[in-house]
Amino acid sequence: MKKIYFTIILLLSGVITLNAQNLTQLEGSFKTGPAIILIATLVTFVLVGIFFRAKDPSDYYAAGRSISKVGSGMAIASNWMSAASVLGMAGMMYGFGYNGLAYVVGWTGGYVLLLILMAAQIRKYGKYTAPDFIGDRYYSRDLRIVSAIFTILISFAYCVGQFGGIGLMFKWILGLNYTWAVIIGSSVVLLYTLISGMIGATKNMQIQYVIIVSSFLLPVFIMAFKFDYFWLIPQIGYGAAVTDIVQGIPAPNISDGVALLNAYGHDFSIVPSPEFAMPWDPSTGTTFFQWMAICFSLMVGTAGLPHVIQRFYVVPKVTDARWSVVWGLFFICLVYWTAPAYATFGKLLSSNPEVGVLAKDAIVVYTAQLGGVNSLIVGLLAAGAVSAAFSTVSGLLVAGASAFSHDLYVKVINPSSTPKQQLKIARIGTVLMAALVTVVALMKLGLIAQLVSVAFSMAACTIFPLFLLGIWWSGSNRAGAKAGLFAGSLVTVIALTYFIVGLRGGSLPGQAFVSYWLNVWYFAWIGAPLAIVVNIVVSKFTKPTPMEIRKFLAEQVHN
Amino acid sequence: MESGDQYNFSIFSPRNLHGRKNRNVIFTMLAIWALAVFGFQTLLRVIEKPVPEKALTIFESEWSHVAGGSGDQADYLALFGSLLLARGKITVAAADQQLLSSAISNVTFTLVPDSVKPLLSEKVSELEVMHSEIATLKGQPYLDLKFRIQDAGATVITMLEPYTGFGTTSLEASILASSLQGNYPASLTDSSFDRLPALMKLYMTHNQSVLTDTRFLGFPFHYFYTAVFLLVLFVVLCIVYNILIEWRLRKEGIVE
Repeated sequence: MKKIYFTIILLLSGVITLNAQNLTQLEGSFKTGPAIILIATLVTFVLVGIFFRAKDPSDYYAAGRSISKVGSGMAIASNWMSAASVLGMAGMMYGFGYNGLAYVVGWTGGYVLLLILMAAQIRKYGKYTAPDFIGDRYYSRDLRIVSAIFTILISFAYCVGQFGGIGLMFKWILGLNYTWAVIIGSSVVLLYTLISGMIGATKNMQIQYVIIVSSFLLPVFIMAFKFDYFWLIPQIGYGAAVTDIVQGIPAPNISDGVALLNAYGHDFSIVPSPEFAMPWDPSTGTTFFQWMAICFSLMVGTAGLPHVIQRFYVVPKVTDARWSVVWGLFFICLVYWTAPAYATFGKLLSSNPEVGVLAKDAIVVYTAQLGGVNSLIVGLLAAGAVSAAFSTVSGLLVAGASAFSHDLYVKVINPSSTPKQQLKIARIGTVLMAALVTVVALMKLGLIAQLVSVAFSMAACTIFPLFLLGIWWSGSNRAGAKAGLFAGSLVTVIALTYFIVGLRGGSLPGQAFVSYWLNVWYFAWIGAPLAIVVNIVVSKFTKPTPMEIRKFLAEQVHN
Repeated sequence: MESGDQYNFSIFSPRNLHGRKNRNVIFTMLAIWALAVFGFQTLLRVIEKPVPEKALTIFESEWSHVAGGSGDQADYLALFGSLLLARGKITVAAADQQLLSSAISNVTFTLVPDSVKPLLSEKVSELEVMHSEIATLKGQPYLDLKFRIQDAGATVITMLEPYTGFGTTSLEASILASSLQGNYPASLTDSSFDRLPALMKLYMTHNQSVLTDTRFLGFPFHYFYTAVFLLVLFVVLCIVYNILIEWRLRKEGIVE
């Protein structure tokens, strides 16, 4: 551990001596301090990875077995928290008010499902990847291939939002336009993944968590103190700010003909804006149904994401699988309790007509900047956001490449391949996926949180039903699984098709109806239940599950 | 020979007492979880009522007079205030901002005497040019122009203060300075303003109930419940589940 502290101190010592940069503009200029902090942070991760290099693949998996439950929880939280958590959530609340909270609740409530229905049982089953489990439980090579493809697609969809977030932060730090920022950011994250992809992962995740959470929390404490809200627990203190937004802040006092500045340093007040906090406010263009559908889709998707489920395969004991969920959820909540505070302060600070409406996905950084937080701390916040995206992207690219090389290439295409060939294929897969994700990220298809929610809905419609029924009902058989997967995939394809056609200005039959009820951000509200029902019905009328599978489930998983 | 039936398993029909107790714990947890999340939001939906902001009530009472051409100075001023409050919201869509700005500009030029209009037009045009230029600037030129915009805005507000009543320090003044535009329909009866009442209703009507109006730790209660309490509940549910399951395993002497 001393080596880590030494490295961090060495790299940051130069940074902390820099003078605070005068932040006069939100965008458009190169920011030296934040740039150095970002580079120092990334170099730290690579060095930590080298210090704690895993000696072989089994050592990599076993790394989880030498750390505590708290450490494992930190690794889960770091693995989980991405640009969507750090940047996207506050952006959704800033833009859509109360409806943005559906993301906060959806992305945390899903862990309850994961714990109660999945964690311990997955650990007891004893497979290493989602396609491994599905292929084995449903005794089907076809299902193994299809689930591997879905693992890649889910990782791909998840990465698109992350690359968008990385692009936004690089844009802010380097002062470039979005296109170049995405291209440079994507190149850096690819390089980072290729260098550190499989080294010292668990230790790095713990350090990444500490950096993400401290960089995210510190500005909120400062702003709550500065703006005279209850700063000791700003996660509750910002409540008064929410009420200020709802009721408006009256005009400043006049003393000797001179206006006194309000708490935000502005010589004006704020119009009453109940739309920020009132549920499914008409002016935000959101509805009660959408709140419920988004929340449900994200919750179920959480319990179906391959890279999340995968964490439970590698914990040493079943009880560790359970408690690591609790610690992971607690550490995640530390950030999720704080994100609405950014949206709230951001709303107040940008109410100045001169500031105008800010880019939603960068609201976290803009808020700290407009709030007069020291530029180095804002730089650290941006570096934390990039770290969150990097840690997730790195994991997703490795997961996607593994599914391609391990589950498709080795198990299906070329079973006699050498380890060298496998590694080469994994690297080609990583580069290919990163390049494709960059192209899609440049299209700016939506906000970060929305883009990531596509991955959740996809996982909820395809992987989740297979795991849920695979674990909890021995009657779910191969034919049922195939039919259920087909139904879930069909809903996914319909939602994506209508979305893409709508995006290109086209129209299909029932475009408006499908775009609302089967929206690409939340189609799992119907897709997941449908896949489950189809799976059950087809299983009832087809050849039962082989006895050895039922015996294994009864004796190993549920005994 | 084994029939295999003894290995049939589902969450609804566990194979033994331990399984049944586990199932009960799982269903209880899921029921609490679902009720807390979806039950509360449903309750919120059921008891909510659309409540207009005070500014909307004023707008609706004045609009018919003003749009009908029978409004006096007081009617225009009241309408003016409500339009500014709507324009000051950052949730207003760009096209709607444009319409509100047009209406504000129309009312502003109606309120000032003819002798002031040429100078006001000139100042507004200057402001519009500066606003269009600032987006392309960086660094010191950006800052210089920003200060010039502030000065020009303050000049306009000072010029308008005798007729609008809004001084440079007022909330409405800063919204007014950034809303004024040179081109606007000459009359509020213009067809482009037909959707103004609906637009005002959209931005100034909110779903409220006792759950949104009650304050708790400074929050509107429903906001606290969703943003803070639910997350606490999720963590607590997970802890309780783990403790219950492990207590039962120990009690029954089961080693996983």
